[in-house]
Amino acid sequence: MVKNYELTPEGRDYLKNGLPEKQLVDILNKQPMKSLPFDEAKKSISNFYIGLQWALKNKWAKSFGKDLVLAKYPEKIPEQKALEEVDKGGDVEQKLIDVLLQRKLIKKIVTSEADKLVGKEVTTLTPQLLKSGLWKQVKFQKYDVSVPVSKVYPGKLHPYRQVIEEVKEKLIGLGFVEAKGPLVESYFWNDDALFMPSDHPARGIHDVFMVKGGRQAKVLDENLWKRVGETHTNGWKTGSSGWGNWNFDLARKLVLRSQTTAVSARTLVKLKKEDIPHKMFVIDKNFRPDVIDAKHFIEFDQCEGIVAGEGLNFRHLLGYLKEIANTFGAEKVRFKPSYFPFTEPSVEGVALIKDMGWVEFGGAGIFRPEVTHPLGVDVPVLAWGLGIGRLAMIKLGISDIRYLYSDNLDWLRNKEVVR
Amino acid sequence: MPTITYGKKDLLNLIGKKLSDEQLEEVIHSMKTNVEEENENEITIELTPDRPDLFGIEGLARAIKQYLGLQTGLKKFAVNSPKLHVKASYLPYRPHLAAAVVRNVSVTDAFIKSLMNIQDILTDTVGRKRKKVAIGIHDFDKIIPNINYIEVDPTEKIVPLDTNEEMTLAEILDKIPKGKDYGHILAGLKKFPVWTDAKGIFSFPPIINSDRTRVTEKTKNLLVELTGIDKETVLQTLNIIVTNFAERGCSIEAVKIFHGDKSEVTPNLNPTFMDVGTDEINKLIGLDLKKSDIIDSLNRMGYDVTENKGLLRVFIPAYRTDILHGVDVIEDVAIGYGFNNFVPQLPHIATVGKLHPAEKLSAKVRQLLIGYGFQEIINPVLSNSTDQFEKMNWKKENVIEIENPVSQEYTCLRICLKPGLLKILGKNTHVSYPQNIFEVGDVVWPDENEETMSKSIRSIAGLMCHSKTSFTDVKSLVDSLLKNLNIGYKLESHDLEEMISGRSAKILANGKYIGNFGEINPTVLNNWGIEIPCSAFEIDLEVL
Repeated sequence: MVKNYELTPEGRDYLKNGLPEKQLVDILNKQPMKSLPFDEAKKSISNFYIGLQWALKNKWAKSFGKDLVLAKYPEKIPEQKALEEVDKGGDVEQKLIDVLLQRKLIKKIVTSEADKLVGKEVTTLTPQLLKSGLWKQVKFQKYDVSVPVSKVYPGKLHPYRQVIEEVKEKLIGLGFVEAKGPLVESYFWNDDALFMPSDHPARGIHDVFMVKGGRQAKVLDENLWKRVGETHTNGWKTGSSGWGNWNFDLARKLVLRSQTTAVSARTLVKLKKEDIPHKMFVIDKNFRPDVIDAKHFIEFDQCEGIVAGEGLNFRHLLGYLKEIANTFGAEKVRFKPSYFPFTEPSVEGVALIKDMGWVEFGGAGIFRPEVTHPLGVDVPVLAWGLGIGRLAMIKLGISDIRYLYSDNLDWLRNKEVVR
Repeated sequence: MPTITYGKKDLLNLIGKKLSDEQLEEVIHSMKTNVEEENENEITIELTPDRPDLFGIEGLARAIKQYLGLQTGLKKFAVNSPKLHVKASYLPYRPHLAAAVVRNVSVTDAFIKSLMNIQDILTDTVGRKRKKVAIGIHDFDKIIPNINYIEVDPTEKIVPLDTNEEMTLAEILDKIPKGKDYGHILAGLKKFPVWTDAKGIFSFPPIINSDRTRVTEKTKNLLVELTGIDKETVLQTLNIIVTNFAERGCSIEAVKIFHGDKSEVTPNLNPTFMDVGTDEINKLIGLDLKKSDIIDSLNRMGYDVTENKGLLRVFIPAYRTDILHGVDVIEDVAIGYGFNNFVPQLPHIATVGKLHPAEKLSAKVRQLLIGYGFQEIINPVLSNSTDQFEKMNWKKENVIEIENPVSQEYTCLRICLKPGLLKILGKNTHVSYPQNIFEVGDVVWPDENEETMSKSIRSIAGLMCHSKTSFTDVKSLVDSLLKNLNIGYKLESHDLEEMISGRSAKILANGKYIGNFGEINPTVLNNWGIEIPCSAFEIDLEVL
């Protein structure tokens, strides 16, 4: 049988010597006159007042002048009996338990299960063991630390995201403000505003995804479109000879953005005098038709930045390129002449990366006046762009571009974090 | 970008100096070109489209010679006065033409290879696949004046190049590969443009030449004829071709073309000029070059320079078609100086960097979802209507569709993130559960009010896939997520097609529908091949 209660030291005392009220009525009962003066009664037992209180309450005794007189000697004292039962672990009426608990003669045993464990070996440290202090008296089983355990997977950022975040951190540190733009673009922003001629080969169906349905982009700023159109046709006021023609209807055609430089153009046109100097970056998606295999995908991210400010020059452009290459752990950086329709001079950065050799990491240039002037900017604008997907592949040590959009949960769960 | 293979031996002969492979590669990389492949005999180079004068091996060799300082400054070309006259009709669909006679050619294998190369690559790139410019090169001695550029009926006949069968022009478009490839340029025309001599048609631009005037190893003199729709491009392309031949020691003779009673002489190889200031140059490239250094640089890039009223007058060779603005000359100063001689320098410009608000919020949301133990997924924005609608039990809605898709898998832009996530679960049924995944990314909806008729919207979606997942599960998560984002919301019971009826809800914030959640319908789970219950939520971040 499980013992639920045990005696307190006071309860144990009363079990041995009797409850104070029992002691009191016993003494009174032994007197010839069945009475005693208070002073004497008080000396005869300890806990006199407790005994007196209960004896009076139960109407076993009453006071008569200076004397205490036995009124009725109790046949049974249930509390006394209950104390014995509790000590033996017997059944006791709840009412009596409550009384004994109230008189703090018994207390509940809280460590009943744990008691059994004393001196034994346990596997688990339970809250009971801890609370009762019994943990001091048990032995903990020793574990084999080499036993295999089940795998745990944390919630994690996608490995590619981790690279992107790292690049963003770097750019924000360099003072660049992040920009965004629509994924569905007009040719105007995707190409015309960047001085790419209407018949440029990269504007064909093999290089750009067209939006189905034949809807056209809105012309929100007619003057801007006019300036851009004239720049194409005859150079407008840019000092250029222009391309000799411009196709307005083509400019209104909707395409899936094929270069984030569209966002740079949209940013430039919004710049006010007081916004300059300004540094902007964008890391976002572009779309271009291509074969879909381990090396190519039709959706890709570009990381692009511009710096607009008085007195900026080609050396500064190279400075930014070098700084960005360092993000990817470049050991050395070299520069090659290159060509982009919207920048002049144009340069390609090549970085020496450990275990990879020389890798082309990004293109850059100073925006042509044919780009900046129609957009209302008359300071030099440095521009650079990186194929961040390819750089992420280097950083992540993967050779298949499809891992950037991995549908392999195992790989995502097990891939180490980017450090 | 065009990629061209050159014979190494021919290239070095034209340069006139022995160069090691390393030296050759080094100099090629200094000229906007990239070595793609190299073996003992050949070198394959990727070129940029702005320098068609380098597409031919002779032009490339010339630029290398100048860059190495073997022959600097403006290359002058003599043009002999015209003996040949051409009478041109005005053909509105292909109005511009130019021609030249090239004398004293010595037809070697290298020459033939170069001739075919330059013709193909120029018509493909500058000529926009023959639409803008088409080129014909003939054995001049087989042509018997008088020469005309006229239009004729499609029933007229010639023997096309490399055949021995006479056929009509209409048949050429039908039967011969070149006719099939380029016939669309002549679509809708009742008459076709041709060059004729005393014996009849010898060229059918932009399709094919006659076999009669083909260039053989015995050819001594050439006729180069070009037609096209852009005058400037036609003239420039002729300049590139004839200056290439001149590099092989041939002499150039002009041709006089009569347009009615007006006439013009082609080619014109006189240089043009542009005035650029030393200050302007130094300001843009960030150096403090002396005038003499600049002139030296430009000489090595093939320009002559004189002075004019304090400015540099830069003479531009006739084969350079890429000089539109002073900045184009300035770039050549920098290339001549050598990009790797510049010391990179970050400017001292203090600006305050910051994230775009939508990206900042996205990062917070990702952080929370990772805290709930979810794995991030990045899916393409490109999708298809089977995934977006059919498999989700949805009726097809308006989406941004692609006119020229390259794969059935990617034909439109996604309007919802859930399908992409379900697809991932369907592909990972062998991987241990629970599988809790999320994506924060863009979806694109058609929107007539927007400038580009569409709106990119930042969205978040999550899936919980395990045997005990339920409505309660996802509701707790959504509640926690929105509370952490400090977004007050209300829920409305709302049956969604992809959810179990009675077990999905709409999320409203300030009365606006911002998202939904619920238990995925078994039909939809079946569609994706998922055999474990799944609950899901998707919330539009843009409106938060």
